[in-house]
Amino acid sequence: MKIGLEVHVQLPTRSKMFCSCPTEGDAEPNTRICPVCMGFPGSKPSLNGEALKLGLKLAKMLECSIPDTTWFSRKIYFYPDLAKNFQITQQETPVGLGGVYMLGDKPIRITRIHLEEDPGKIKRTSDGSSLIDYNRSGIPLAEIVTEPDISSPAEARKFLASLLADIRHTIDLEPDSERSVRCDCNISVGKERCEVKNVTGLKNVERALTFEVVRQTKILRAGGKIERETRHFDEERKVTTSARKKEFEADYGYINEPDLGTYHIARMASEIENKETPMEMAVRFENDYGMTAKAARQIISTDIRLAGFFEDLAAATDTETAKCLVSGVVSSNWKGFEPTKGSLDDIISMVRRFKEGKITDVECNMRVRCIMTGDEDTCRICSEDLDKIVGRALDENPSVIADYAANEKAANRIIGAVMKETGGTYSSAEIVSAVRRLITERL
Amino acid sequence: MIDLSKLPAINERYRMFSEITSEASADAEFAFSAKDNLTAVGFRARAGSAILEGYEPVFDAACVEKMRSAGGFLVGKTNMDEFGFGSFSVNSAYGVPRNPYDAERSCGGSSGGAACAAAVMDGHVALGVSTGGSIACPASFCGVYGMAPTYGRVSKHGLIDYGNSMDKVGILSGDAKDLGRYLPVISGEDRRDPTSCNHPPLAKKFRKLKSVALVRSETSAGVDAAIRAAEEELRSMSVDVEAVSMDTLRYALPAYYVLASAEGSTNIARYCGLRYGRQDGDLSMKFDDYFTSMRSQYLGEETKRRVILGTFTRMSGFRDKYYAKALGVRNAIISEYKKIFERFDAVLTPTMPFISPRFDEISGMSALESYRADVLSVPPNLSGLPHVSMPCGYSEGMPVGMMLTADHWNDDMLLSAAEDWQDRFTAIPPEVSL
Repeated sequence: MKIGLEVHVQLPTRSKMFCSCPTEGDAEPNTRICPVCMGFPGSKPSLNGEALKLGLKLAKMLECSIPDTTWFSRKIYFYPDLAKNFQITQQETPVGLGGVYMLGDKPIRITRIHLEEDPGKIKRTSDGSSLIDYNRSGIPLAEIVTEPDISSPAEARKFLASLLADIRHTIDLEPDSERSVRCDCNISVGKERCEVKNVTGLKNVERALTFEVVRQTKILRAGGKIERETRHFDEERKVTTSARKKEFEADYGYINEPDLGTYHIARMASEIENKETPMEMAVRFENDYGMTAKAARQIISTDIRLAGFFEDLAAATDTETAKCLVSGVVSSNWKGFEPTKGSLDDIISMVRRFKEGKITDVECNMRVRCIMTGDEDTCRICSEDLDKIVGRALDENPSVIADYAANEKAANRIIGAVMKETGGTYSSAEIVSAVRRLITERL
Repeated sequence: MIDLSKLPAINERYRMFSEITSEASADAEFAFSAKDNLTAVGFRARAGSAILEGYEPVFDAACVEKMRSAGGFLVGKTNMDEFGFGSFSVNSAYGVPRNPYDAERSCGGSSGGAACAAAVMDGHVALGVSTGGSIACPASFCGVYGMAPTYGRVSKHGLIDYGNSMDKVGILSGDAKDLGRYLPVISGEDRRDPTSCNHPPLAKKFRKLKSVALVRSETSAGVDAAIRAAEEELRSMSVDVEAVSMDTLRYALPAYYVLASAEGSTNIARYCGLRYGRQDGDLSMKFDDYFTSMRSQYLGEETKRRVILGTFTRMSGFRDKYYAKALGVRNAIISEYKKIFERFDAVLTPTMPFISPRFDEISGMSALESYRADVLSVPPNLSGLPHVSMPCGYSEGMPVGMMLTADHWNDDMLLSAAEDWQDRFTAIPPEVSL
């Protein structure tokens, strides 16, 4: 079985690919349009440089070779959602050619990555007519085409999930925009292949491919022949249906886009430095920290910031302590935690205290949970501990109570002593309020 | 104050406008017109096509915007061959402009209405558009000056495309000085058209033309005589004139028709009766049947021919043989021009091989015969080179034009040459009585 995917990703630019209309905002149909993305006579496209830059970032991430110059082409086909009845895309000089993507140990070859504009959207109404919304018309897309190196529907899903995580990380795509990822799936069980067009979402890709495996296998077992064709995936019924026989396949009649120039991208490409991808990071964690692949991926797929925190903690303490803490209490409380530099530093200094033997592992875990959750019960336990320390200091200096009644500054002696004793476990505000509260109780 | 009261009567007789202003006078510095494929707020923009009936553009073309802000009053939109597809302005859904020297003859095309307005109306500046000779040809047939600048010199924002890699906005006028007066007004880079360019900008002081390379060509006897006389006149103006041959020019015509039709057919794709212009078809049809019915009904015959021709030249299996090859031919022709420009300031040819034909002659022409009429005006257009057509004589009472082509960005040499020529040449204006 051979599966190849064509993955379409909307690029997160603020304005559209060839005009200044916003890509996000008002959801009311046909409000984010202008003469350019509506293809009005006399309008001309101007390239959004940010789209080109994001395309180059992805081309680099996929280890593609990048040409020195690139230009656009017109792909001509008639469809109501396509404002000009041609799509501006890249035919001869895609931003990336011949790359590779490592799915674990398995290389998936990347044929090409090119940039193009998204068409509008058609909405069918219950009375059988259609409405068109051009808000999407002209939003920049990157299309990533793989070689048929994927060998099962489950692997296709795994590949897509992993690829998308890397894409999101590389170009800062919002995690919830999975619906804007669309796939054309090519699959052959025997010799001839079929293409299932425009499948949205990971689950649907796996479903559509699985349906095709069953369908094609049945035909072959019955001694039939698979016809080369384009098929459509019905999300409701979870089946694929024939859309167009290949012998009638459109001839797109590509020409060079004469309204745009030739872009010299060598320099722009060389100046791009991609962040380490999550997959690369996982490999490094295995090597540098002796983690299992599963543990490394677990941490990284939870949140790239968690992985970053692990590295900071390992540097501040040691690898084994960091592994233990991060896979334990930190991971289990990560959901719902809004990591800030301050809160992460607090956790690190708490773990240091544990390493120095100042607190026990139980107390350390409890205090970390307190920092991360702000959970009342946990915090109360923590604050009771502070109360004990303050209480002890007051027992040792009973004169402070009377002095405090005359002058509140007398509390400073206790505050100073407690601070010295707790060595930064508590914030000064916490100590001040505890000292004042306990003195007032004893007045 | 510009008196516009005679405009309806003039247009009644010559049909040079597809739409005119409803005002009777205007308080403006000068009057100008725009070819109907240039958008202007307040006027429909139909580019001579029935499929764009009702289209009211929401923005001014860059050139119109600049003329307006320079104090110009837009009197109307000039008639043209549908989308620029033609050399005689007979392929318009909005009537056929008539030659001011002989109403039975063509104004040339596709900026026929613009040339006619320039010939008939005193002090009128006409914005035209040239893809393969659509300014030079009608200027020649109507006995006026017509300048198509270097490709990119004038923004195409608001120009309804024909062959985008060759489309140029230019100027036609009965007065050569208008070319130099208004080309600087409409020139310049525009971020709304990435092919526009201002490097180098148009020189403020126009350089003199010192030498021309004369390329002899097959023409009618009348045209040949006028060109020979003009040659002598140029020598007397101390311009060096030397005959040269340019072998690649004979490939320009087929390369042009391949590229212009290939690009044109993709531009025409958007006209399907859906978003603007005609939208009065039967929407219960399936979309492709609807598109077919609207396009069949509202696109003209020559447009359909070029869409079919252009679609064929870019089909897989034929693309390399036609479209890709034509791109190569264009580069070869540019190279040959560049060699000539190492030795000469400009190339001189007749603009058209014959004087304006009569309408009965035109209706007898095959498509190929009418394409052949562009044999001399196509090469500079294919190459993006600035060129100017100037009246240089008369044959059978009809104007003959000669064309100077200069190197890229040397537009100013042509502007000075046109002004100098006008000082020496005695034009015979058409008899216009109203």
